[in-house]
Amino acid sequence: MKELFPAKQVMGFVFSLILTVIALLVYYTDMSFAVGMTILLVTAFIQAFLQLVVFMHAGESKEGTAIYTNILYGVIIAVVTVFGSLLILIWDM
Amino acid sequence: MEFFQRFAIPHPSPAIYASMVAIALVSIAIVVGLTYFKKWGYLWHEWFTTVDHKKIGIMYLISALLMLFRGGADAIMMRAQLATPEAKLLDAQHYNEIFTTHGVVMILFMAMPFIFAFMNLIVPLQIGARDVAFPRLNALSFWLFFAGAMLFNISFVIGGSPDAGWTSYFPLAGNDFSTSVGTNYYMLAIQISGIGSLMTGINFCTTILKMRAPGMTLMKMPMFTWSAFIANIIVVFAFPVLTVALLMGTADRLFGANFFTTANGGMDMLWANFFWVWGHPEVYILILPAFGLYSEIISTFSGRNLYGYKSMVWSMVLISLLSFLVWTHHFFTMGQGALTNSIFSITTMAIAVPTGVKIFNWLFTMWKGKIRFTVPMLYSIGFIPLFTIGGVTGVMLAMSAADYQYHNTMFLVAHFHNTIIPGVVFAMLAGLTYYWPKFFGFILNEKIGKLTFWLLTVGFVLAFFPMYITGLDGQARRMYTYSEATGFGPLNMVSFVGAALMAIGFVTIVYNIYYSFKNSPRNIGSDPWDARSLEWATHTPVPEYNFARVPQISSSQTFWDSKKNGHALFKGEIEDIHMPNKSGVPFVMGIIFFIVGFSFVFALWVPAVIALIGVFVCMTLRSFEQDHGYHIHVKEIKETEAKYGEVLNSEDRPRTTTRV
Amino acid sequence: MKIDHAQPLEYSTDQNQLNILGFWIFLGAEIMLFATLFTAYFTLSHRTGSGPTPAEIFEITPVLIETFVLLTSSFTIGLGIHAMRLGRKNAMVSFFAITLLLGLVFLGVEVFEFMHYYHVGATYQTSAFTAALMTTLGTHGGHVTLGLFWGTFIIIQVIKRGLTPQTANKAFIFSLYWHFLDVVWIFIFSFIYLKGMM
Repeated sequence: MKELFPAKQVMGFVFSLILTVIALLVYYTDMSFAVGMTILLVTAFIQAFLQLVVFMHAGESKEGTAIYTNILYGVIIAVVTVFGSLLILIWDM
Repeated sequence: MEFFQRFAIPHPSPAIYASMVAIALVSIAIVVGLTYFKKWGYLWHEWFTTVDHKKIGIMYLISALLMLFRGGADAIMMRAQLATPEAKLLDAQHYNEIFTTHGVVMILFMAMPFIFAFMNLIVPLQIGARDVAFPRLNALSFWLFFAGAMLFNISFVIGGSPDAGWTSYFPLAGNDFSTSVGTNYYMLAIQISGIGSLMTGINFCTTILKMRAPGMTLMKMPMFTWSAFIANIIVVFAFPVLTVALLMGTADRLFGANFFTTANGGMDMLWANFFWVWGHPEVYILILPAFGLYSEIISTFSGRNLYGYKSMVWSMVLISLLSFLVWTHHFFTMGQGALTNSIFSITTMAIAVPTGVKIFNWLFTMWKGKIRFTVPMLYSIGFIPLFTIGGVTGVMLAMSAADYQYHNTMFLVAHFHNTIIPGVVFAMLAGLTYYWPKFFGFILNEKIGKLTFWLLTVGFVLAFFPMYITGLDGQARRMYTYSEATGFGPLNMVSFVGAALMAIGFVTIVYNIYYSFKNSPRNIGSDPWDARSLEWATHTPVPEYNFARVPQISSSQTFWDSKKNGHALFKGEIEDIHMPNKSGVPFVMGIIFFIVGFSFVFALWVPAVIALIGVFVCMTLRSFEQDHGYHIHVKEIKETEAKYGEVLNSEDRPRTTTRV
Repeated sequence: MKIDHAQPLEYSTDQNQLNILGFWIFLGAEIMLFATLFTAYFTLSHRTGSGPTPAEIFEITPVLIETFVLLTSSFTIGLGIHAMRLGRKNAMVSFFAITLLLGLVFLGVEVFEFMHYYHVGATYQTSAFTAALMTTLGTHGGHVTLGLFWGTFIIIQVIKRGLTPQTANKAFIFSLYWHFLDVVWIFIFSFIYLKGMM
């Protein structure tokens, strides 16, 4: 019976619910924009990482390194694009 | 009648009417010719339905050469118009259309298919694979590219060409200032071929990561494969940006959205930003495979291993990241602050360093080498000094304060042609000459080839170096004429002469193909250049299955090892080879996507929806299809091998090679 | 076709392994696709012209429903893959069906949300903000819609053909796609809705 029970998935689901509730604090309580954004950034990236490892089994095959490198590369370039564009078009315009 | 009005050309001229007639006549001639010689079946079975990477590569090659002449015709018309002050050859509108299509065609429909051609032809052979990871997707990529290219090319006879520059900056490209359907063509045609490019990127990344022959670690991959790998990584991460930007541009033009408009909060600068977030990595997508080709060629004809293999690899990895960090240098004058401009000035200068490393690697590869001055080697040797000049003027442009003087002048035009022509175009022609015998079984004539090289080099210098001077003197790009008082006349005439020489040079390539087809000897063996990497270890022309036995890899120069150091390349018995099935669906999907694009261009919603349903049906059919491919059996392989004169069963026999 | 029985079914052939790696690389491209949409949204979210601002049109209730429905569907498809690895075809098909039903609920709420925007005067043409919002949500919603068809095809194939290396491979890749859409939604939830209502 033990291997039938998807312990990993249940843990992941519970954890993602907790993270969502923490993120919702931003809406339901009164806090500064900076604190709120920090909470959102932390919870969103932890959630994404959780999905990647628990549900998507990113590291399980021989290509684990290639897959993680690929995702990391994408995230780095995505972050550069988002913040670089904001710098150009809003913050330093 | 109003319905048909939209298909008319807004700015007709006799030249365009003549082109219409010519296109119609050539189309009829092709159809009649194919029917008369009963070649439809051959075309369908051997080419339209093929999933073989070599045939797809050849189709890319032919498309690229055709587009080279389309873009070249635009170029020569521009130079003719500018050759003398206040010339009347073209009016302002026609000139706008021509510089726009010249840019788009040369970058997206000439250079891109050219590098995809070489990736398709060479990469699976260099890593010892049967084909790419997803052969059918590969065919779909080609047909999407082809549909996009054809859609773009009919614009000038149906509805009018785009005229907002190849960068298509808003608000100029918006409905208010570009009233014809031209810019719709731009958005849709590039979108369709861009999706094809993205799929190619995914396909080749997977192929190179997973399908290398036993023993070929990443650091034993031949340099062209490395360059193709890095270029495809950039494709995967850069093209989605273009997809989204084009989607938004289309929404603005067709659905009244306000992304890049000047009303309701739209921000035209966002387009420029996105365009170059894609556009700068795109530059490296083109140049890296070119560097890969030069590396193969210089190493072969210097008779030496590539100097500094590891530094070459790491410089490319560095470039792949840095290429995403420099895009602002295309619009230093847009209005962002000095801080932003300084950051991007520094990253731009930094990216020159890994490129400089490569230049030294090539020079040291030739150092003490026994150089054979063949045509591919001539291009490579011409490339180094010319490209360095282009690189140095690039560093000049990278200084954001100084850029206020250079921006939008002919200096810039000279700079990027100075990198693209000796960098990419010379590499493509060098690669064409170098790999021609592998795929067509004869060598292109060296004498005519050398003539071509000198025509192109001299033509290039004459055509573009004067622009540095007139640019610094203030001649703006994209201006259809200038007054005599500016004094730009004589230098522009020199440019025209150079452009004419280059045009003659390109014609000699076609003549060379014809001449060599008639006269070149066919008994050249499988390794006519005495080359070093794996693609030369199989027969000429390459059999369908590439290698009868999977090669065993010792180093990045494994074929050289097998020739000179007794490395046993092929071991073991021949086994059945699994091959992918042919399919007509990619071709059909290309046609459907053409219809989708065309319908969107003219806002014909009924055919657009029907065609989109067609796309969906094709995808559904693919989902349910059970496609296991087929096997080529041992007996058949042995017969094929015997036809090439291969003596089997002797495992460690050194291969015989013929040299020229 | 060589089948390696030491591996889970979805990894058991060379082509299967290629498909999975290729799909991961595709997801890398999708990261950039959505990053570009987010860039546009962040740049344009304050540029509302004469139209409404984010805080004026966002409502927490539909967003909460969408979020929990999609999170749950990500969990159920995870259970589906777990069942598949244990060779339990019926359990797997049931979990996949539940996942798709949840996806359908998500889409229904999203359609309701778009109708709400229309009623409060925020259409696609209203402002740069609305265009960026609806394009981002629409691209995600379009992915979910495509996923509903794709998932249905896979369920049909598993029922008809059983758990073979091919069907298992397709189901696994589909689960990657579905989880990825959940990740994208988390970012939409955090940085479009919650940031906009903060």
